[in-house]
Amino acid sequence: MVNIDDLKAEAKRVLKERKVKYIIGYERASDTWKANPVFLRLPEDVDKLVWDPTCFHNLVRFLVDEKRRKAKEKPPDPRPVGIVAKGCDSRAIVVLLQEKFFDRMDVFVLGVSCESTGVIDERKLAKKTAGKNVRKVEFGEKQNFVVETDDGMMEIAAPEILADRCLGCIVNVPVISDHLLGDKTQRTVAHPFQSVEKMESLSGDDKWSFWKDQLKKCIRCYACRSACPMCYCEECVVDTINFAVTADTSAEEKAQRIKWLEKSSVDSENVFYHLVRAIHLAGRCIDCGECERACPVNIPLRMLNKKLEKEAKELFGYDVGFDADQPALISCFRDGDPEDFIR
Amino acid sequence: MDKILAKKDYPHWLKKLKSYRIYAPRKKDDVWNYEIITASDGDCLEEVMTAVPAKGIVFPQREFFFEFGETDDNGTRITELLPEDKSVVVFGVRPCEGRAVTLTDDVFGGEFEDPYYWKRRNATTLVGLSCVDPPSPNCFCLSVGGSPHSKEGLDLLLTDLGETYYAEALTKKGKKLVLEGQKLFTDPKPEDRKMVDKIQADSRKKIRRELSRIDNVPAKLRGMFDSSFWDDESMSCIRCGICTYLCPTCHCFDMTDEVETSSPLSGKRVRTWDTCQFPDFTMHSSGHNPRPDKASRLRQRINHKFQYFVEIWKKYQCTGCGRCISLCPVGIDIIKVVEKVRDHGA
Amino acid sequence: MGHNVYLPKPAKILEIKEEVGGVRPIKTFRTAFVDGAGFSYRCGQCAMLSVFGKGEVMISISSSPLVKDYLQFSILKTGRVTTALHEMEAGDIIGIRGPYGNGFPLEEWKGKRIVFAGGGIGLAPLWGLVHMTLGNKEDYGPLTLIYGARTSKDIVFREELDELKKKMNVHLSIDVAESGWNEFVGFVAQNVLDKKPSPQNTIAITCGPPIMIKTVIKALKDLKFEDGQIYTTVENKMKCGIGKCGRCNIGRHYVCKDGPVYSWAELKNLPQEY
Repeated sequence: MVNIDDLKAEAKRVLKERKVKYIIGYERASDTWKANPVFLRLPEDVDKLVWDPTCFHNLVRFLVDEKRRKAKEKPPDPRPVGIVAKGCDSRAIVVLLQEKFFDRMDVFVLGVSCESTGVIDERKLAKKTAGKNVRKVEFGEKQNFVVETDDGMMEIAAPEILADRCLGCIVNVPVISDHLLGDKTQRTVAHPFQSVEKMESLSGDDKWSFWKDQLKKCIRCYACRSACPMCYCEECVVDTINFAVTADTSAEEKAQRIKWLEKSSVDSENVFYHLVRAIHLAGRCIDCGECERACPVNIPLRMLNKKLEKEAKELFGYDVGFDADQPALISCFRDGDPEDFIR
Repeated sequence: MDKILAKKDYPHWLKKLKSYRIYAPRKKDDVWNYEIITASDGDCLEEVMTAVPAKGIVFPQREFFFEFGETDDNGTRITELLPEDKSVVVFGVRPCEGRAVTLTDDVFGGEFEDPYYWKRRNATTLVGLSCVDPPSPNCFCLSVGGSPHSKEGLDLLLTDLGETYYAEALTKKGKKLVLEGQKLFTDPKPEDRKMVDKIQADSRKKIRRELSRIDNVPAKLRGMFDSSFWDDESMSCIRCGICTYLCPTCHCFDMTDEVETSSPLSGKRVRTWDTCQFPDFTMHSSGHNPRPDKASRLRQRINHKFQYFVEIWKKYQCTGCGRCISLCPVGIDIIKVVEKVRDHGA
Repeated sequence: MGHNVYLPKPAKILEIKEEVGGVRPIKTFRTAFVDGAGFSYRCGQCAMLSVFGKGEVMISISSSPLVKDYLQFSILKTGRVTTALHEMEAGDIIGIRGPYGNGFPLEEWKGKRIVFAGGGIGLAPLWGLVHMTLGNKEDYGPLTLIYGARTSKDIVFREELDELKKKMNVHLSIDVAESGWNEFVGFVAQNVLDKKPSPQNTIAITCGPPIMIKTVIKALKDLKFEDGQIYTTVENKMKCGIGKCGRCNIGRHYVCKDGPVYSWAELKNLPQEY
């Protein structure tokens, strides 16, 4: 079991020694059963920290904000930002390091192992509790969750409310850390890409009709993009205006910016947006699941990204987000890489 | 006009509404949304909180304004594209969504009436379903001038009495809808009305959350414009826009020209939803942005709902549906933010 | 139902004049509706100009309402729609809808002296006002225009300004000295302080880049102008032009509908978010 006091002690130590600017962690807000992101600046703040299966957010997203904030700091503070990171989140940190988004010394990783569990999927829990108001969720002794609702207590077997991605996850232990807490035994999973096999077995027409049906629901809120730590581009394909505008940016430059897609929620634009985003994340997505979690209309976005993760592995032998010294997938090649698509 | 409809007769009523396009909440992939249904889909009405509120029917994510095109003689043809002439009825509308529509009515009416909104609005009959139990753990309608059985904005209000619906026709459109049902509707007995009153009184007690004593909030917000409070509150915001897209009272939109052919030029001017939470919402062409950071954008959302709208319309621009709380990926809670404003500096 | 507020009417560009060249060009467009219809508006109001296929922009009408033959707009090339406008020729068709905004409160200014302080493209929203008041000279006290630009090449309405000098006080300035320039050298605010307009029974209106407005308002206050005597126009990104899309608000005000003309007395009480 990860000892929360050990986590608090280490967090307190680095804050006291002013080794980090602040720490991004999880807290339990009052009147809710789930964790929420918290930003700890003072040593005494560490008492707010929690670590349990309700900590499903990927906090690496806030490291992206930090980079923007740092650019405006006067004078610049060279200290790293501390972050509580689970296995999946740590892979996001690795990808950002591979892409030189920031340096290793810009982040102080308080790694926490998920051990043999993972994190809860809110929607699966809501289904299990049939919409009853949930007050508390705790991991019980018998590999189950003890859930307290307004109507009383329930015991639910862990696999029924753990996130699907956790059920097939081999990265229960963070792959990068400055301080690591919890059991370091790595899980093994026989078929890490099992979730995409069912979709793969469908015919082309059936796949197209499935995705058109799902993407019709999209309201183009871009929550998926906003939630993703790897979607850090200052100017994204969907933005119809330039963001990096200075006094020297000419009117022509702004006028010539291509409008790749319209804002309207229609089949053509929705498919374009999601497929382009998936391709832009090929070899970069580490399946933190935030996109799917954030989506208010339940589009199964992870499946698109998982498929590309599988291709990275099968075609190029590339494991996404494990080795910070490894170059990004699309910026390297091996001599034996498949070439049959080059005509 | 009060009437009773047996629940088993609800599908028969739908069958009689041949001239209407019918919307009702449907569940797909574990998400409830208003979908077009046929009479055979009308098993029963569930008391649910849809992801996209009923505003999406009178103010859709995308709608056409007009078509433009280059004519042979180098002129320009502009053809208005109003919404089609089709009566619409929406069943299962939460009372908070009905109230929210009265707020969007204020915005889209006035000196410059929005013809697209009003064409849809006038053709739409909103049939509310009283909340016997709050459909969301984050409901707080009572705190912002609403209630689980509010009639505002609705044309007809149904209350579930177990085997029957108690139907209160509130407007001409509501009455017309009941009359379409002809003999399916019967007159209520006194005990039916008593049951409705009891259900409505009980439902008020079941609302879990409260945002109390907020009369001072508009004035407080005025004084907090430059406060670092907004930096702290917005730290975890990922500016995804969900809070505003799915808010039943939010109405921000964008207008763009969607070009279909470039030579000769033809296309449509289109309205789509937009949100003050996106970084480019207020960005000038020069690059100057009056709201360059998350703090100023969160401040705008709260100020607009609890100060500016109050200053113009004397109502909060919030009906307490709780969607923004339930769906925020990082748990930013409008009740807590406004409570902190209320208590700020105290 | 009546007139659809979002529908522009086709208008033909009658004439295009290049005011300022270079990297920040300004062109003046004279337009008239294709159906010959008029358009009644007040000084200071704006219109939404459509370039079909590109979008719409809100531009102040720089001709005075006394002119009936055309609607004049002076437009700085800065983005997608304005670049498309700059690439147009006389005879091309654009869309116009409006007028929008509150206009200048000319009734309240009758009998007063008026000082116009403009910078760069900021002369355009004032231009109609200058000619309106000049056209009704007997209603107002002496009129003074204090106008400056970065360089002499950035001065708009150059020839008309020379004509104007014969009819009212005109004080020009450029930021940095140039050979051949014998008027004031310095920022518009400095020129205002140099010319010392009296606040006695005077109204001052200033338009220009945000920084210029701030410095001119400060200069006027230093000269003892009251907040209610200072007026300005505010600019914000706009789309609908009618106070519904939620974009251009400053506090409870929508600049497209409740503005763009504000007295400093009003504006200082609104959130400083523009």
